[in-house]
Amino acid sequence: MRILPPILSLLIALTGALAYLSTAYALDITLPLETATYKPSDLLGYHLVQQNCLICHSAQYALYQPPSSPRGYWEAAVKKMKTPFGATFADDDIPVMVDYLVKTYGAERSTTAP
Amino acid sequence: MKKNQLPSKFQERRDLLKTLASVGAYAAMTPLVRNALAATSNQVTLPFENGERELVVFPQKRPLIQQTSRPPQLETPFPVFNEGVLTPNDAFFVRYHWSNIPTSIDPITYRLRVGGKVNNPLELSLEAFKQLAEPVEIVAVNQCSGNSRGYFSPRVNGGQLSNGAMGNARWTGMPLKKVLEKAGIQAGAIDVSFDGLDRPPMEGGPDFVKSISIDHALDGEVMIAWAMNGEDLPMLNGYPLRLIVPGYYGTYWVKHLSDIQVLGNAFDGFWVKTAYRIPDTPCSCVQPGTTATKTVPINRLNVRSFITSLEDGAKLVVGQEILLRGIAFDSGYGVKKVSISTNGGHSWVKAKLGKDFGRYSFREWTVPFTPAKKGIYGLKVRAVNRIDQEQPLDPLWNSAGYMRNVVETTHVVAI
Repeated sequence: MRILPPILSLLIALTGALAYLSTAYALDITLPLETATYKPSDLLGYHLVQQNCLICHSAQYALYQPPSSPRGYWEAAVKKMKTPFGATFADDDIPVMVDYLVKTYGAERSTTAP
Repeated sequence: MKKNQLPSKFQERRDLLKTLASVGAYAAMTPLVRNALAATSNQVTLPFENGERELVVFPQKRPLIQQTSRPPQLETPFPVFNEGVLTPNDAFFVRYHWSNIPTSIDPITYRLRVGGKVNNPLELSLEAFKQLAEPVEIVAVNQCSGNSRGYFSPRVNGGQLSNGAMGNARWTGMPLKKVLEKAGIQAGAIDVSFDGLDRPPMEGGPDFVKSISIDHALDGEVMIAWAMNGEDLPMLNGYPLRLIVPGYYGTYWVKHLSDIQVLGNAFDGFWVKTAYRIPDTPCSCVQPGTTATKTVPINRLNVRSFITSLEDGAKLVVGQEILLRGIAFDSGYGVKKVSISTNGGHSWVKAKLGKDFGRYSFREWTVPFTPAKKGIYGLKVRAVNRIDQEQPLDPLWNSAGYMRNVVETTHVVAI
């Protein structure tokens, strides 16, 4: 190991001590890993939902809605994400995403597994 | 919390967890060990369609019902409410609106700003803030507007919560009035707005900012807390400062509070003007399935009560007396009377009220019950407050799924 000049060693030690002090005072948390995923599907909207929705929030927002939720709900929810919530996906994506959501989690889902 | 009210098994586990946490060992344990300590099952089924949820350990929390993981929205498992009148910090529910939440906060550099229509805009360190005046304490219930939304019929969209998006804690902090007086309110102030460090993930999304009227802000009870139940706020409950609005729904209790603005106009931000609105009717309700023609911002809690000592489906023994126990609360007028029916509402008996922690707190109630014969019993609890507001026997409905407070029924079987 290279021997550092004393002044440099002191500086490194001081920097370390400062870093330790500030982290000792700060409250840091590490959130658990996110495990929820959107249900795979052949519907075109599946990939768009993965791409557009997971940027901002975890999948449970859709997964846990009442299965009776009609198409109108999903359409309003997706549109709300653009305006006023600021999502940047294309308007053309909306009907495709809504179709996947209502057929996977809402009133138009098939009773048999997709 | 009265520790002697805890079942010894729970107490032992909590003590162990506390000890482990204090030496930093808890975080370093493998997930397998942690899960073995935390719960025998990592799944619960809330009693409505699509009610399966995972129990997940978040920082500074015991396993809680995960409603969403990003942002964290965690519900308190209902048996916790039987542990004592104060809800432990590690079991207290968590609700965020946006996923961009603070995960590291340095209390040395943290600042609380006060601006707008004030003579002396403030930028206070935590230390300076805590020395503004004599700290105060209040025990108060924080309940999510949408607590119990999962039970609405017809179902409504939003977070599908059971009854655990509420908690009762002893809050320590500074009256908001003292802070505003320090800043010096100018003539013409109408509303006061509150912003915290949580942010929308997308630029242009409406920041989560809430407001109350200037008169409300100066009532001496609204406060800014740095401690709950004698300890620093957990990060997910708003460390290092959160607004406490006793008697009002949790939506006003802004977490990681960093900016207060005194406004000369009515606040018109999204989270007051568009979201968190209730029907402008005496019951805050409409005919199920319809929408309100006129709405107002959600405000005070209504009256609620629960049985906490028994869960639905519990088994009792014929001829054996048990003590039914639970909690009741309102928006701060104070619980006057709690009545219990053990025959599905045909007749009612008065419960004994427990220690008074203040008019904004959960109030414990107890009543002895001996099932006389075999069969199913519908146990009901109903509270009334000091201005005679009482819980409805049939559920009230609104399209946002707010303010559920129907008389609850717990079905038990005597064998």
